[in-house]
Amino acid sequence: MTHRHLLPDEIDQLLDGEVGFGVAPLEAHVKDCPECQAALDEARVVVDALESLPLLAPSPAFADRVLSEVHVYVPWYIAVRDSAVAAVRPLAPRSQPVRLLLGASALSAAFLVSAAVIWLVGHLDAAVFFASVLRTQVSGAISTAASAIASALFGAPAASYLAHGSAAVLLGSVLLYGMALIVAAVLLRTVAVARRRSRS
Amino acid sequence: MAPLFELANLPDADVVALAQQGREPAYREIVRRYERPVFSLVFRMVRDRESAEELAQDTFLKALNHIDRYRPEFKLSSWLFKIANNVAIDHLRKRRLATVSVSGSPNAATASEIEATSFELASSAPTALDAMESRELGTTIEQAIAGLRPEYRSCILMRHVEGRSYEEIATTLDLPLGTVKTYIHRARHELRRALAGVRDDV
Repeated sequence: MTHRHLLPDEIDQLLDGEVGFGVAPLEAHVKDCPECQAALDEARVVVDALESLPLLAPSPAFADRVLSEVHVYVPWYIAVRDSAVAAVRPLAPRSQPVRLLLGASALSAAFLVSAAVIWLVGHLDAAVFFASVLRTQVSGAISTAASAIASALFGAPAASYLAHGSAAVLLGSVLLYGMALIVAAVLLRTVAVARRRSRS
Repeated sequence: MAPLFELANLPDADVVALAQQGREPAYREIVRRYERPVFSLVFRMVRDRESAEELAQDTFLKALNHIDRYRPEFKLSSWLFKIANNVAIDHLRKRRLATVSVSGSPNAATASEIEATSFELASSAPTALDAMESRELGTTIEQAIAGLRPEYRSCILMRHVEGRSYEEIATTLDLPLGTVKTYIHRARHELRRALAGVRDDV
């Protein structure tokens, strides 16, 4: 036990409810010393008065006033995500069973695609083979369609030229043809505008 | 996005994260949670409802308009109190004549400097104007708080009204821990004297 009166700091320690080896002798002293007990009680009155102070409320419109002046900052990636969600949401079906069906279909498709990708990664040689077959088929289909269009538009010689001409000459011809189309469109538009003006 | 009824149950860190994503209800929730503590602190610092509303509003605008700068390692309440204390102290500095400390220069760092820069008023008891202050601040303890210098006032309010630890107050107010302890000790002492004076008068 401490045999002298408590120092102000020691009274603060008791007020703050501190614990530890140093505090027990202070508490023991206070029990036996009416003067220190009185000093502690007096200090407690202040602390109790402070701790019983109520929280004060601003006016009811305070929050609205603050929020009307706050600039709500939306990061670009959130804005992009929100726009995407807003664009997709109207397309989503409203009926619960249809939603479930669509969800199940999407899951199945995702599962199949994932399985196919995993299989292809495991069989790269087969993937290369399938890719070359696909490329041959697609390029064959495109050249057949182009020949048919050229033949229909410009006759059989054009189709033959398309089939046997070099790539550079072919590209030049396509560009010339495109430019001719644009010039024709501009001329037609000019004529149409001139007619409209003359009518009015 | 979490609806409002869920927002009320979220911890501060999650509400701030939603506010950082630009969710307006999260902004409102932050104001709802802290309008009273922030307003109380500021009102007790400046003792004028109109100014306190403006300063509390400034506090929230500064915080919410820079919510992206909030660091999660800092408690939201501490961050708000730090801003609130700064705006209140700035306001008091601007009207220094009305709030000049009787306990020495606010820049005094040591006890001797405080002694050297302090002066005595005829009476440090609350003025007639204080007594006529709104009934919210009319109690003896409120008037005794008003008699403290602003630095003591913010420390003692944060310690005993907001229930903050010494360490938290030191971090919030950017003061050394020892200074916070000294301020709180001195504030308690001055309040004890003020309350004892009132009791003696009665």
